[in-house]
Amino acid sequence: MNQRLNTRQKNPLLTTLSRFSLPLLLALSGISHAAEAVKASVPASAPASASTVSAGTNATTASVTGKTASNAAATVAKIQVMLAKPAILCGNFEQSKQLSGIKKPLLATGRFCVVNGKGVLWRTLKPFPNTLRLTRDEIVQFQGERVAVRLAATQEPTVRMINSVLFSLLAGDLSQLDKLFEIDGSVDSETKADGKADSKSETKSGTPGKADASKGGSWQVALKAREPALARAIGTIALDGGAYVKHISMQEASGDRTNIVFSGLQSGEAAMLPEEVALLP
Amino acid sequence: MKRLSLPWLWAVVVCALLAHNGWLWLGHRLTPDTDILALLPVQERDPVLQKSFTNMVDAAQQRVVVLIGAPDWEQAKAAASRYMAVVDAEHRNRVAKNGKANENSHDNHVADADTEPLLQLSNLNEQSQNDWLQSFQRHRGLLISAGQEAQLRKEGPAFWLEAGQRALYSPFGGPKLGTWREDPFGLFAGWVQERAQETPVRPRDGWLYVQDLQADTPANAGAGHPGTSAAYQTIPGKVDSSKEANTATGNRTATIPAATAARPARHFVLLPLTLNQPAFSLAAQQRVIPLLASAKKAAMQGNNDASPGAATPAIEVIQAGVVLHAASAGEQAGSEVSTIGVGSLLGIVLLMWFSFRSLKPIALVLLSIGIGCLGAISVCSLLFERIHILTLVFSATLIGVAQDYGLYFLCNRLHVEPGVPSRTLLRQLMPGLLLTMTTTVIGYMGLAMTPFPGLRQMALFSAVGLVFSWLTVVLWFPAMVAGGTLTAGKLVGLNHRILQRWPLLRTGRPSAVALALFLLVAAIGCARLGVNDDIRLLQNSPPALIQDQIKLSRLLDAPTPVQFFLLRGDSVETVLQREEQLKAALAPLIASGKLGGVQAISNWVPSQATQNARRALLEQKLLQADGPLAQLATQLEEDANWLASTRQSLLHNTAPLQVADFLRSPASEPWRHLWLGQSANAKDQSAGTGTKPGFASIIALRGLQRATLPQLQQIALNVPGVQWVDKVEEISSVLGRYRQNMGWVVLGSYLLVYLLMLPRYGCAAWRALLPTALASIATLAILGFSGQPLQLFHILALMLLLGVGVDYGIFMQEHPGRRDPAPWLAVSLSAICTILSFGLLALSNTPALRAFGLTMLIGATLVWLIVPLFGRSDLAANDPVYDDSFDATNEVVQRLPIKKRSLP
Repeated sequence: MNQRLNTRQKNPLLTTLSRFSLPLLLALSGISHAAEAVKASVPASAPASASTVSAGTNATTASVTGKTASNAAATVAKIQVMLAKPAILCGNFEQSKQLSGIKKPLLATGRFCVVNGKGVLWRTLKPFPNTLRLTRDEIVQFQGERVAVRLAATQEPTVRMINSVLFSLLAGDLSQLDKLFEIDGSVDSETKADGKADSKSETKSGTPGKADASKGGSWQVALKAREPALARAIGTIALDGGAYVKHISMQEASGDRTNIVFSGLQSGEAAMLPEEVALLP
Repeated sequence: MKRLSLPWLWAVVVCALLAHNGWLWLGHRLTPDTDILALLPVQERDPVLQKSFTNMVDAAQQRVVVLIGAPDWEQAKAAASRYMAVVDAEHRNRVAKNGKANENSHDNHVADADTEPLLQLSNLNEQSQNDWLQSFQRHRGLLISAGQEAQLRKEGPAFWLEAGQRALYSPFGGPKLGTWREDPFGLFAGWVQERAQETPVRPRDGWLYVQDLQADTPANAGAGHPGTSAAYQTIPGKVDSSKEANTATGNRTATIPAATAARPARHFVLLPLTLNQPAFSLAAQQRVIPLLASAKKAAMQGNNDASPGAATPAIEVIQAGVVLHAASAGEQAGSEVSTIGVGSLLGIVLLMWFSFRSLKPIALVLLSIGIGCLGAISVCSLLFERIHILTLVFSATLIGVAQDYGLYFLCNRLHVEPGVPSRTLLRQLMPGLLLTMTTTVIGYMGLAMTPFPGLRQMALFSAVGLVFSWLTVVLWFPAMVAGGTLTAGKLVGLNHRILQRWPLLRTGRPSAVALALFLLVAAIGCARLGVNDDIRLLQNSPPALIQDQIKLSRLLDAPTPVQFFLLRGDSVETVLQREEQLKAALAPLIASGKLGGVQAISNWVPSQATQNARRALLEQKLLQADGPLAQLATQLEEDANWLASTRQSLLHNTAPLQVADFLRSPASEPWRHLWLGQSANAKDQSAGTGTKPGFASIIALRGLQRATLPQLQQIALNVPGVQWVDKVEEISSVLGRYRQNMGWVVLGSYLLVYLLMLPRYGCAAWRALLPTALASIATLAILGFSGQPLQLFHILALMLLLGVGVDYGIFMQEHPGRRDPAPWLAVSLSAICTILSFGLLALSNTPALRAFGLTMLIGATLVWLIVPLFGRSDLAANDPVYDDSFDATNEVVQRLPIKKRSLP
């Protein structure tokens, strides 16, 4: 009886209190509309940049059958061995784009640097100077000296993932790409040794550079995003190369096509021009 | 005959009460009102404001947000799968069990309610992306981010030509939606990017992904590239030619990206769960809490394999939700009930046993209190539409007062000769009983004079409750307790001996000095008394929960649901324009980082004025003859047809976007709560915003800092039709106003009670009242000295203290002198019961209960100690020891002989 009396004293009070404190804890938590905000982000971010993020099935469901998987894994392993993976790699690129709705192919040339642990520098020199710098925490586009676009990881959480994928693409790091893409590849083993390699060729590498050529052979891979949404957004990517990636082609669902051919590859500290060192310190 | 019938009549009334209460409670017809704003005076209530609270807060109540973090995304995903497996398994098991039960019972209704998942993951729909883009297709030309709109105004054709070229030639361009021709200058893409940045949550591999950037930055701030060392592992074997690495810059270390190259220190999977049962329901809490705990355990399984001793466990699980706090409050209440409750119960039972050697008295007292409560609930539910939860809380104080009547009768019964019939005794006690009841009831009625509906309800509730328990005592007790049925326990004699040795205040120097000293100290103490109505003081969730909440809100950067701007206008367009005005005023705060960002409908649907301005900008700055688009066409070697059709399609996609259309599209789903629409009550002219209420909307704020609040308030004053809303502040101010009003009511009640006692006690009336007043002042002074700020719950306790204290005073004045042990026994028992039942609440961990309990503990103890000081000194001084024939004015003592044996 008296026990009930005590409960009666307390329970309404506590209920009231928990009501009172509700706004406060909500203020603390900020959990209110997380779910809605989250849903909102689905469409918004999926197209964002390289869309490395988008939703879809996760890796396990998209996996290939055991046999092909092991084949693919073996191919990837072989390619990994062939790749030189220098700490610093610089070279020239020739980029040709065919955009849907535009007849004229768009040609651009310039230089690029991939620096392990730092990021990627993509310097378009023609038809007009424009530099794209991808570092761990931001993406910056310079139009001449001026910063035209800057996207920081603090603003856009996908920046790091985008950068990591682009880095892997340029460095040919298939073990990383494997997480997002189904890799279908083949290797032309070392038959042609030094000789093969595109005659544009790896080694014009002056004094410090000549990292490559020691390993021969070439490989081709086709990347198809494991996730349907990502696949829709970026289409398919094909890479080929030897000790380095020499050619990238991208085919987007919209019909846009991009071909990039690399040449004059150099590795080592001296590969970077002073202005490039300045841009990617 | 007439006398006999009254108790029977009362029995009929009580049966009716029981039936009515059963009908109310069992039929769930009585659901206490819990909205604290319902306590505001009606004319101050603002329906639009209330709708905004409903929109912002109510949905949040049902959410359980879980973040599962790991240093590796794959690990985090695996942990999240384990977590959801446990949640889903619970549901599956329940459905399976119900399926079987259902075959037997065929009770479909019950089964349906129970087959709903307890926790549901808000699922991601892949379809939504396409739908989402589709709903903006026809308007994309008008959707331009604030930054780019400013650039459109400022920059010349060369800038936009460059922008177009950049988009053309960039190898891995920025965000891209559709073809280049559909968005040659990247404006729509920029707008989408701006919208995406309203949340840090991103979909990834079918999960929702949040990264913790802060975790790894402080430790690695040294190098030019923060965070590198944590993210990249040095793998010396892989360095192709170490001599190169060591040449130019010497010690530069070649590194290979670890795992997935550049990565933050921690990755989180976000699981937004919806609770399908009310968060405050005890049944839901009992099921959800163990489920969440076992899911968390499952998610953290991986930690056993990895280094268990690590500072940050490999996998961490952060859970947040109102249900967790509600459950922890409930759990605390449960443990307090079993410690404080059992303690006070034991104390009261022992007290009664040693006083009466029987538990019958306590049963009788509880009976009277119970009937009082039943009566109060019945009458209130008949008179008011809903009973507020705070009324029920306040009703607890009824117990403290209502017990006095019963105890007073019982103590007198104990001390009066058994030969005296109970009815005769009651007739003698009647004046005092009537006075205690009327003074308290009238004191409570003072509450009814205030404009606050809550206080009125409390006043009526208390008054009715007191009358009902009083009637129970008066009508039933004499019949239930016959003379000689009660025997005095050991405590009774002890109690009386204490009274005889208690000092007595007389008019004289020592007393005057003591009083002056007391007043001086009390004045100092009261002067130190601060006031604080902040409801945050009442918050007492466990620190672990609060920490999880803080971390979660940092990671999610979600807007707070309790502080926002409310905008009104007589048309949709006005509201949208005011939103834009307000956003412009907030822009500097956002730029300086004092504010994270805003969420508003006008982010999605600009006002028509803005839409027109943007269309004009497009035509003037980008699409004009020889403008950037024309120049791009020339560079691309496309002909005039191409230019015309591109221009045409760009302009085609600038159809005016309307709020109503947006709200119908699936894309608006996360934002619909921000639009309050047309106010239902159009004739309501309240709110003092200077505009006729018509349409209203909310602007929610992210990354709000407390230091920014005053600035936000100021900004709201500068933009017409804008109101700054702070529910924390709002509730605090309601509490504050109740505290003030209650304070005045307490003071007024003292005056009323005094006036009521004057006719009976004349010049001695102050003796009945002063002990309570002094005890209250002393309590306030002690609170002041201990640095406790005054709040509503202290004042509520002082009101109760007045109720019980005056009773003690009246009991003592009814029997002046110290011969009769009955009144002092009644006072002592009543005071100890009050201290045991209310005072022990001072040990509670719930701040409001502690405030209430502490006040009662100090106050009731002091009244108890002070009351005997104010016995009539003249009587006592002249009183030849135990002379029964002394006082002619004292009818009770004269007519009813006191049992000699009760006085050892």
